[in-house]
Amino acid sequence: MSILEVRNLSVQYHTGQESRQALDGISFSVGEGETVGIVGESGSGKSTAMLAVMGLLGDSAEVSSDGITVCERPVQPGRDIAMILQDSLNCLNPAVKIGRQITETVRIHRKCTRREAKERAEELLDMAGIRSPKLRMGQYPFELSGGMRQRVAIAIALACEPRVIIADEPTTALDAAVQVQILHLLKRIVEDTGTSLLVVSHDMGVIAALCSRVYVMKTGRIIEAGSAEEIFYAPVHEYTKKLLRDTKGHKPIPTHPQEAHLRGKPQPPLLRLEHVTKVFGTDEGIRDVSMEIRAGEVYALAGESGSGKTTLARLLTGLLAPDDGKILYRGECLDAGKGKRAWNGKSAWNGKIQMVFQDAYGSLNPCLTVGQALSEALRAQGGQDRLTPAERRRRVEEMLCMAGLSPEDADRYPDEFSGGERQRIGIARALIPEPELLICDEAFSALDASTRKQVLDLLLSIQKEKKIACLFISHDLALIRQVSSRISVLCQGRLAESGETKDVCSDPWHPYTKMLLNSVLPPDPLKAGKVRPVFAEEGTQGTDSGKGCPFAASCGYAMKCCFEETPGPYRFGSRETACFLYSEKHTGKRAEGYTMTSQI
Amino acid sequence: MLAYTFKRLAAGLVSLFVLATVTFFLVRLIPGSPFQSGSVSSQVVEAVEEEYGLNEPLFDQYAAYMGNLARGDLGISYQEPDTSVAEIIGRTWPVTASLGITALLTAVILGTGLGILRAVSKKKAVREGIAAGGMLLAGIPNFAAAILLLLVFSVKLKWFPSAGLLSPAHYVLPVAALMLYPMAVISRLTGNALAAEMDRQYVLFARAKGLGRGRIMFTHALKNAWVPVLNYVGPASAFLLTGSFVVESIFTIPGLGREFVSSVTNRDYTLILGLTVFMGTVVILVNLATDLVCAWLDPKLRRSYSGK
Repeated sequence: MSILEVRNLSVQYHTGQESRQALDGISFSVGEGETVGIVGESGSGKSTAMLAVMGLLGDSAEVSSDGITVCERPVQPGRDIAMILQDSLNCLNPAVKIGRQITETVRIHRKCTRREAKERAEELLDMAGIRSPKLRMGQYPFELSGGMRQRVAIAIALACEPRVIIADEPTTALDAAVQVQILHLLKRIVEDTGTSLLVVSHDMGVIAALCSRVYVMKTGRIIEAGSAEEIFYAPVHEYTKKLLRDTKGHKPIPTHPQEAHLRGKPQPPLLRLEHVTKVFGTDEGIRDVSMEIRAGEVYALAGESGSGKTTLARLLTGLLAPDDGKILYRGECLDAGKGKRAWNGKSAWNGKIQMVFQDAYGSLNPCLTVGQALSEALRAQGGQDRLTPAERRRRVEEMLCMAGLSPEDADRYPDEFSGGERQRIGIARALIPEPELLICDEAFSALDASTRKQVLDLLLSIQKEKKIACLFISHDLALIRQVSSRISVLCQGRLAESGETKDVCSDPWHPYTKMLLNSVLPPDPLKAGKVRPVFAEEGTQGTDSGKGCPFAASCGYAMKCCFEETPGPYRFGSRETACFLYSEKHTGKRAEGYTMTSQI
Repeated sequence: MLAYTFKRLAAGLVSLFVLATVTFFLVRLIPGSPFQSGSVSSQVVEAVEEEYGLNEPLFDQYAAYMGNLARGDLGISYQEPDTSVAEIIGRTWPVTASLGITALLTAVILGTGLGILRAVSKKKAVREGIAAGGMLLAGIPNFAAAILLLLVFSVKLKWFPSAGLLSPAHYVLPVAALMLYPMAVISRLTGNALAAEMDRQYVLFARAKGLGRGRIMFTHALKNAWVPVLNYVGPASAFLLTGSFVVESIFTIPGLGREFVSSVTNRDYTLILGLTVFMGTVVILVNLATDLVCAWLDPKLRRSYSGK
């Protein structure tokens, strides 16, 4: 018997004179205790469909269907059906305590006193895997981490006592390790409560990990449906095949020939960090980070949110100055005074380091045309001969063509472009001053798999052609593996491990790296279903600030010294790791020429 | 929170000191003497000035005034030598404050009510009527509104008395003149803020969990929408509480505002200074109260005040 039944659902948006068909007669159903996935890229109408099912679409949408029923009754939000939204920060009211947001839900659904509602809410938080629910009840959403907030949202959904839960991109905003935890929690809830689950995601890995049946959506239609095995192992539709291909990505790139040549003769690195520290408050920021980026290579920086990746990017572009340590560019130190903001990007590296931001739209001024934004970037670069407006225009148009856009796009405004096109503009803006190092700070995280592949291919081809070094900052190890030749893994502000990407990713030495790698969900139901969270609950990570290994508290290999001393970096050939397992104290005295192997 | 309050109070004292200093010297720049009038000879003026210590060096006078101020003594009025400035404030402020509080309450209640109505109403005519009416009212300066109200409701229709503040009926016109502008602004702010809040994700989530429209509006959206409104209401209430020069003069209400106007024309130095310091204190306290209420509504702000 199906719990949720949707027949022939169509949605049309009316804005002003125009109307747009968002959904075109889709039908789907969710059986009792079943977990069903809907997969598709952004703009395919997945979220519209879910909101239409819940009856939550705004006035501009015209919904028509042959029936949307939950347990054979018309849908009423909160009755037998509950929803979890993607953005857990914004879907909790910032001004209302967590406890209240749960109890009010409890009290809509069952007649009970305040105290009973409170007890029930604590129970629900406990079910959602939150430790010390009493404490959390009195807190506000901004005091919790992203994963914790998503757990609260799940607890609220459970408070509706639903027969079916709709989870709209439940883990998209979360780190890989936290994503695995949340998916695991959802799975457990389905098992324990017997509720059905409808998961909506653009991520084939998430769908593979959870669902037994899958619908594939494209431009408002369901183009393929079937069991998870059918969809993942024997896709029929061309689009499904493409989605799977894009998610699996291309083969890891071999080391560039010219780079192999470079390695022969030791060259001064393009950029060198020596024991750089920049701390905000007690635990934010980075500590004692050293690394080298060589000219023309793709270097990756991996780590979860809060690991200090963005701080590092800002230090390199000169937007921040280090508290301690040195940043050397071609052997030259940028010293804008300790602790002071080195605001002037011009003096810092002369525009030779440029950045592509994560939020392509947010980083473009909506009041400037693309051409204006690009020529401004050109003008901001010092030292160059003054260009006439016509020359600038020509450069801008060239750059746009190179980024896969058309010269006419120079006169359009950022809001006229799609997400992928905006990121192309962001790349063009960063490349136009002809940098030697390009920093991509999560530049591709917000894009769909296919768009990401296109933009990434473009960037890598330009990078190869112009021999630009690229620092690739991301939490996505699958992506890093594809593009970079060397990698550093950051764990809460400290370097955990660095080395050649293929070595580190295929044979991790640091337990933290291993945990990150194990959290990658492959688009394969058999493999993804086996991915287990390292810790069942949150809030266990991290020791007291500054002392010990930052990963010690959640590390299965932690020893007493891990909590007391900071492991030094231990160097073995091209690899470096900061874990006591590799110290001489642990392994014993080592002979000259000893080959270290993974200790985990 | 307590530490924050003390810090703000200390900063307020510094502002008051600067305010008193600047006013003290500015007032002395007004040409003429407080005791000068057509029929008095210059010898008499000089004699009285000597009696009041006005012939001493300016800085000594300043030091003496600030010394007294520190002890809470605002001095005596030159115009009414028998009454102290504190007494004049004590006499006139209740009048002004009662008028101001009434106007403030009406403005807040009607303003938020209209704002909510504008945000929730399904009728386009209601929504746009409120928006347009608000715009119109916000455009009328209060002296024009006062005269207009006086003309229509008092002179022509004779519904309400035109001067004084003896009975509740006397309150209607001055309160109306005072509250029209703040009411219009509050309704606009509430309406806009609520409309913005109703588009937020948490409202969608609240609807998804089955909360009714009314509950979402009152327990969720309004709490967030109030912050911008309060940021306006705070400073606006400071003005209402210290009286409107124009409205009090038009309706001949014996309040602070009118006292202030006459003290300036009389060059009554101590009274001008006393009233300025008093109004400054009210403004500082009201703004502090606003910030504390905002912090109460906005937990993030609260944490930042507590320094956690």
